[in-house]
Amino acid sequence: MDFGFSDEQRDIRELARQIFSEQVTADRLRAYDEYAEPRFDRDLWQILVDAGLPALAVEERYGGGGFGLMELGLLLEEAGRSIAPLPLVSHCVGGLLPLQRFGSDAQKERWLAPAARGDVLLTAALVEGGSGAHCLPELTTATREGEELVLTGRKLAVPYASQADRILLAARCDNEVALCWLDPSSSGVRLEPCQATSFEPQARLELESVRIPAADVLAWQGGASLLEWLVQRMTVALCCHQLGVADAAMRMAASYTAERQQFGVPVATFQAVGHRMANCYIDVECLRLAGYQACSLLAEEQPATLETRIAKVWAGDVGHRVSYATQHVHGGMGIDRDYPLWRYCLWLRHNEMTLGGSSAQLAAIGAGLAAGEGLFA
Amino acid sequence: MKIQFTPEQIALRDELRAYFRELMTPELQAECERDMGEGGGPLWREALRRMGRDGWIGLGWPESLGGRGLTPLEQFIFVEEVMRAGYPFPFLTTESVGPILAEHGNSWIQREIVPKILAGELLIAIGYSEPGAGTDLASLRTRAERDGDEWVIDGQKMWTSLAHFCDYTWLAVRTDPQAPKKHKGISMFLVPNSDPGWSASPVHTLGGVRTNATYYDNIRVSDDHRVGELHGGWKLITSQLNRERLSLINFGPSAELFNATVRWAREAERPGGGKVIDTSWVQLNLARCRAAIECMKLIVYKQSWAMTEGNLDMADASAAKVFGSEAFIELYRALGEVVGHAGLLRDGDGCDSARRLERLYRTASIITFGGGTNEIQRDIISAAGLWMPRASR
Repeated sequence: MDFGFSDEQRDIRELARQIFSEQVTADRLRAYDEYAEPRFDRDLWQILVDAGLPALAVEERYGGGGFGLMELGLLLEEAGRSIAPLPLVSHCVGGLLPLQRFGSDAQKERWLAPAARGDVLLTAALVEGGSGAHCLPELTTATREGEELVLTGRKLAVPYASQADRILLAARCDNEVALCWLDPSSSGVRLEPCQATSFEPQARLELESVRIPAADVLAWQGGASLLEWLVQRMTVALCCHQLGVADAAMRMAASYTAERQQFGVPVATFQAVGHRMANCYIDVECLRLAGYQACSLLAEEQPATLETRIAKVWAGDVGHRVSYATQHVHGGMGIDRDYPLWRYCLWLRHNEMTLGGSSAQLAAIGAGLAAGEGLFA
Repeated sequence: MKIQFTPEQIALRDELRAYFRELMTPELQAECERDMGEGGGPLWREALRRMGRDGWIGLGWPESLGGRGLTPLEQFIFVEEVMRAGYPFPFLTTESVGPILAEHGNSWIQREIVPKILAGELLIAIGYSEPGAGTDLASLRTRAERDGDEWVIDGQKMWTSLAHFCDYTWLAVRTDPQAPKKHKGISMFLVPNSDPGWSASPVHTLGGVRTNATYYDNIRVSDDHRVGELHGGWKLITSQLNRERLSLINFGPSAELFNATVRWAREAERPGGGKVIDTSWVQLNLARCRAAIECMKLIVYKQSWAMTEGNLDMADASAAKVFGSEAFIELYRALGEVVGHAGLLRDGDGCDSARRLERLYRTASIITFGGGTNEIQRDIISAAGLWMPRASR
């Protein structure tokens, strides 16, 4: 039992925190408000790439750091703390991890090193609509024609789809699930930008008889288990990001109420305020522990379906409660766009609802209990 | 970051689980039920002495203090398992006052008291609250005055739980009425409950559990019975309370109750067909409980780890107490809904979870104010965890 970090993990966290705190200023974030431009700070991305951070979990022979999901989780937590405008979850977790784990040798030779360098941008299209936490394709189908997979259907809210060089997506193929790397410039692909709450660049993806060459197929069949593997890691990534966002918002509110005077005293001295913040502290600690537990288990490729769902329940509940509590104790400042909190609240909502909210996760946990799983050891 | 037991810790857990399965005879179980899960009966006493003889009580204590030299995490595994088995373990003595005595006690205490705690032969009640001093503990009025080589103690304590079968009271008294700040004039004593000046009268509570008002009438003790620095008792009180708050949050019994309720719901027939667990809201209730107990588990593991590392954080100890105590209450409600009307019957109508939940509902409300009210814990969290200023009081 070890809740501490290794020296290397501490170094990674410190390096990330230093870069983000220096680079991600309110002025730079303001540039992306209301979709004024795609929320992707390419200068910052290059700094991060030069520091080796996006490729932390890529094997060294492909130019990565040779670390794992836990280290990536710490990077995402720091990205959340600053709400850095970067495609870290979608590229590093949605793209790099499945490419490294399941990609053919040829696919890895072609994309892994350039993607680790940031020259090739990857993302994953996991959402088709609906509210569930499961990402099995319903609306996207594929047929095999010779050495090609032919796709028709749609995906919703694909992060950084318009910036990405390859999009990982799943399609129903007969009674199986196929996975492939879509080149968004292929014929038959239509990308329509969505305006997402968080200002993250996202797009609707319409596919009409899009031909995927065999070389770009990740799995002709049996994709469901790969997808589950990926969705668990994406879910934990959202939890880690949420932890950073929630912790930063909470500390912002604590500092603000310590300074803000009413009736001649700091508002933090009112118990009603202090206690609401104490509730945030407990909530954030629960998210931290549940998130780290799931992340560290998955980092070792241990089964963690239940632990991941529990972490996402906390990410959802804590995100919701911290968002409203921090806005509330700020009064009007919490929603004033000249003060930084409001962007954090949008991200708390984004992470809460993406890949299944708390109730969807609880329903899955409950179904597992009914099916004979999930008792305590 | 590795939130898993080592193979040795898993083996220890399994060994303890088997040990307690054998120790908890039906007779002992019946006695513990009769005593409302508080202990104190003859079989209970004998079982505690056996744990002492078998070297379990001081599992995680340093060898220099008579323990077995494992870490607080192993100690924690032991406490989880003993509580999980349904044995009302006297954790206030062994886990909270005991370690303070071992650390700060003089040579008489080290020689006469600590070994008996580890042997399961000596029990200590806590004498803090008074009729006029509860959350504002520092305004306590029970006093000790020096008379030659002795101290003379007079006063009254309230809510002195377990005192009617304990051997000593860990007593907070005022030794310096002139101290400029009231918490600076407090010292700690270990007072024998066998003294003729000591008496207790029962206070009966909602759930049927007995607590006590205790009286200290002209009790004379030697300076050996004083613990720590003169007028320096406040530090020991807060340190003891930190440990008490952790001991209160014990996820073992909750995990066991959860498992038992899920197993029951998987088997129990639902009116109109199917099993109870096929009901969607039942699954939701159980899932919520599962997620809450998981966090309770992680919080206590982290605190045990922090104690092992020697950096137990005050805000985290308070956070554990608030989260755990409020989660217990929600848990008993949600599981109570699942077992249904049987949870209103003292015999549980044949459902063991329902029988336990009936009592837990009645006895659980103490936990949000016992060991320091959750309001004070939240004050501590916002001040120590978030650096928010506090109102002066």
